[in-house]
Amino acid sequence: MNLITLEIAVVILALAVLLGDLWTPVAHKRSLGYAAAGGLIIIFSYSFFAAPAFGSGFNDMLVVDGLSLFFKRFFLVAAIIVIFIALEFADRIETGISEFYSLILFALTGMMFAASANDFVLVFVSLELVSVTFYVLNSFQRNRLASLEAGIKYLILSALSAAFLVFGIAFIFGTSGTTNFSAIHGLLETGPDFGKNSAFLLGILFVIVGLGFKIATFPFQIWAPDVYQGSPAPATAFLAIGSKAAGIVLLLRVLFIAVPQVALHWNTLLIVLAAITILYGNLCAIPQRNLKRLLGYSSIANAGYLLLGFAALNQTGFAAILYYLCGYLFAVLAAFMVISIVTCGRDSEDVTVLAGLNQRSPLLATVLTLAMISLAGIPPLAGFFGKFLLLKAVVEQGATNSAYYWLVGITLIGVVISLYYYFGIIRAIYWSKEPADLSPVIVSWPARAVLIVCAAGMLYLGLLPDRAVQQTQLAVQVLKVNSPAVQIQKEARHP
Amino acid sequence: MNDLLPNLPWSVLFLPLLSAVAIALFTKKNRGLSAGISIGAIVISFLLSAFLFFQYRDAKQIPDTVLSWVSVGNLSVDIGIKLDSLSLLMLLIVTGVGSAIHIYSWGYMHEDRAVSRYFASLSLFTFSMLGIVLATNFFQMFIFWELVGVSSYLLIGFWYERASAADAAKKAFITNRLGDFGFLIGIIMVWALAGSLSFGTLQESFKANPQILGASATLAGLLIFCGAMGKSAQFPLHVWLPDAMEGPTPVSALIHAATMVAAGVYMLCRVFFLFNLPALEIISWIGGFTALLAAVIAVQQNDIKRILAYSTLSQLGYMVMAVGVGGPAAAMFHLTTHAFFKALLFLGAGSVIHALHHEQDIWKMGALKKKMPVTFWTFLIGTLALAGIPPFSGFYSKDAVLAAAFEHNAILFIVATLVAALTAFYMFRLFFVAFLGAPKSDASDHAHESPKIMTMPLQILAVLAVIGGLIGIDTFIGKTFQPEAHAVHFAERFLAPFGHAPMAALFGILASVIGFSIAWSLYANASCDPLPEKLGVLSRAMRNKFYFDEIYSGLIAITHEAASRLADFIDRWIVAGLMVRGAHGTTELFGRALRLVQTGNLQIYAFLFVAGVAVVLYFVLFRS
Repeated sequence: MNLITLEIAVVILALAVLLGDLWTPVAHKRSLGYAAAGGLIIIFSYSFFAAPAFGSGFNDMLVVDGLSLFFKRFFLVAAIIVIFIALEFADRIETGISEFYSLILFALTGMMFAASANDFVLVFVSLELVSVTFYVLNSFQRNRLASLEAGIKYLILSALSAAFLVFGIAFIFGTSGTTNFSAIHGLLETGPDFGKNSAFLLGILFVIVGLGFKIATFPFQIWAPDVYQGSPAPATAFLAIGSKAAGIVLLLRVLFIAVPQVALHWNTLLIVLAAITILYGNLCAIPQRNLKRLLGYSSIANAGYLLLGFAALNQTGFAAILYYLCGYLFAVLAAFMVISIVTCGRDSEDVTVLAGLNQRSPLLATVLTLAMISLAGIPPLAGFFGKFLLLKAVVEQGATNSAYYWLVGITLIGVVISLYYYFGIIRAIYWSKEPADLSPVIVSWPARAVLIVCAAGMLYLGLLPDRAVQQTQLAVQVLKVNSPAVQIQKEARHP
Repeated sequence: MNDLLPNLPWSVLFLPLLSAVAIALFTKKNRGLSAGISIGAIVISFLLSAFLFFQYRDAKQIPDTVLSWVSVGNLSVDIGIKLDSLSLLMLLIVTGVGSAIHIYSWGYMHEDRAVSRYFASLSLFTFSMLGIVLATNFFQMFIFWELVGVSSYLLIGFWYERASAADAAKKAFITNRLGDFGFLIGIIMVWALAGSLSFGTLQESFKANPQILGASATLAGLLIFCGAMGKSAQFPLHVWLPDAMEGPTPVSALIHAATMVAAGVYMLCRVFFLFNLPALEIISWIGGFTALLAAVIAVQQNDIKRILAYSTLSQLGYMVMAVGVGGPAAAMFHLTTHAFFKALLFLGAGSVIHALHHEQDIWKMGALKKKMPVTFWTFLIGTLALAGIPPFSGFYSKDAVLAAAFEHNAILFIVATLVAALTAFYMFRLFFVAFLGAPKSDASDHAHESPKIMTMPLQILAVLAVIGGLIGIDTFIGKTFQPEAHAVHFAERFLAPFGHAPMAALFGILASVIGFSIAWSLYANASCDPLPEKLGVLSRAMRNKFYFDEIYSGLIAITHEAASRLADFIDRWIVAGLMVRGAHGTTELFGRALRLVQTGNLQIYAFLFVAGVAVVLYFVLFRS
């Protein structure tokens, strides 16, 4: 397997979908989605059968290692499910459904390149590929004002963040003379004073701003609720999981491959950002009635949980991030799948559309309930175990800085607050007072299969976490935290 | 046959459970069939027990049969079968006396609407009781201990539509729970200190190292004793037993005379090895005090069942005292004979109550000799046995207890002798008033003998009450505690008490005679009780059980009620009001306030974004 075989395959698939559109009659265009999903499933399976080609290429700009492979598979799974969501949503996209599929695939390509980035140039290029496709995806329902508004808001704020990102990269290049992660790491290793250069640090911070925008962490989260609410559900779903995970993997690579020496001194920043993000997301979600907006705030809160793993600054934390993302993937995509199906033929996306869902479709009600329980972090589902791993990593660091215990406390408060709105959704399903429309919801069998896969994934990760935890631990081995600073801290702890 | 033998004890144990389940699930509608299943189960259990008894009578050591149930860490919980002379004897008592009572119950209860429920509960009780008897370890014993508590709750409250019965059931259950709480802590202590819950293993380790419990040996022993204090109704937890008489009379006979209340004494004998001297001292004093207290109260009761209930309390105190003065064999002996004659007395009382249309006041009975001859004669035998008149069984077992007290503690010996006199007194008072003299009410004037199904168990139990002291029960139990004891000839047994402890025997007989004479002089042909006038205030105190119930309810009002009020206040105002509402209100407020930030205006968003960047830059670059 070549270094970029998977990416090439996805691009070819995307082009094939575009071309196939020309020969497909209008009535059957929708089913191109099955071809796209099928192709992705083949690519996904291929990534397991073919021997992975670990190594770097293109002037060390791109690297394939355990971490990138993990994320590539992650993005593939996400894209497969999102395409199935899009299939359910297709009736509401009046023109160019094939373009919708192929745009998802192009965004996927960008995410997969991001997973392999070992150079700031590739960081920028892959992120822009993701962003540009999302500008279109978010405003794809051209006749809906909300969708257009979402697209415009995302465009402008994303451009703003990209400006910071590219500005930061310029600072880094200007101070270090290189954009390559390994080279920058080498410079920091040899010249200890280099890491104290304010212009260089400014550059790193600007890069973090750009990535923080993608992850929707405080204070760069401001766009998320509006965009989540306005965009078509499949686009929102992909934004919530794919775009966020791309930001996460890049942040991991930048902080712990390029500049671990700097990152180790920024634990206070990470702790504060994580704490505020968790509280902000959870508190704002409480008064929300719109399902997608609520999930937007929930996605901010989850960005905060993911930051816990960064703040912990240890391998356990990084592995926990990966694990948490997997659990989050199944829960969020299951939720969006259910929302897509339930809101079909309705204007409203309020929680009230869920009233009586347990009678209209027990499967949808059960899966959505499971997803909410998992997001709320209640055992035995994936969300619980993910949060447990993240908190465990944070507690392990508690001896070095008492702020970590505060972070744990705030996280727990956040989790408790989140119970309120997640269970609000469950309550809306089962205990709504208003007389509900009790006509049964028809769920197509592919959607059924996807929902069952999501439910199984949440249960599997929650009940039998061993294998998955091992995988994540292997994947994060490339991240460096055992630099001198950590050594000193560790020695201080165990004299 | 040899393959079958190890399974027999399991059948003995599980047959009653099977019958309880079968009745509850299938035959609830068919009352006769339910009774048949229940009676059949216990009779088969009895026959199997008898077979086991003869099979293992002379065996030196019977290995435990053990099934592992759960195993957590180094705690493994077993369910097993322990067979030794102690448990074999108890098996016979529980299934034998139980069989008689089951059969009697059909006669006594067959008109009741819920007779199926009655027999299901009775079978469940038998199962639980057998579980205690056969337990190989503390854990198993505790499980069945609680099951006994539950089934006794069901039986006491059988007529739950009567408020007094429902209250009595609750009282019995809660009082027992108090004792069980201590019992459980004691079990945990023993487990923590000695590292095992199995009786066999514990006995081995106590033999190897008597100091294994260290400084807390007394405490552990007393906590274990707490369990017995609840089940065997020892002071200060004795209050539930008299009230438990609200249950049907056969239940009183089975549970509150012959078996359940004996469980505490049985348990003390089973784990006798783990009590040290100070603990035994306290146990003996509690037993002695209970015996005296209950006997004094019994003197001024007028309800036939309550007299017997206080008598039971008093005799249980006797047994516990016997354990305390180092005579578990004497305690078990007395337990056995007591099971015979007390079950007989209760069933006799039941027969009278049945004949008099549920009249329980002895002052409304009288002149029953002619009308109910079988009941009369068997009741007389029971009375003689309980009063300790030779050669009835009570004399021998009571003498064993007295002898044990005589050797170890002079004061307790005096107390015990006094109790013996009181026992004779109140029993003959009951007998004279209820059975002799003129008829004191219409009902007693028109009484008829009970049906055969009720008198037959009386006759069987009467035989046992007569010969119980002479058939070698004491030597059989003795094997567990003094393995070298030799067999005694029947004729020797007859006079044995005078041989080895003549003082105790003489004092015992003397006490009985004194009690009898006073009762004769006061109550022969009496139509009302002369004692209240003579004793005045004391009599009223005795009639009111020395106000224990009032004191306890006062105590509960002070402690429990006050604690409940406090908890209620905290829950209502601090938890629900301040914390829940407060937290909810604050979060909601924050949520709504933060929502204002999200104006939807793009310029403001861009501004906030850049402001955020500025804050982060300031935070990282300029503050550190």
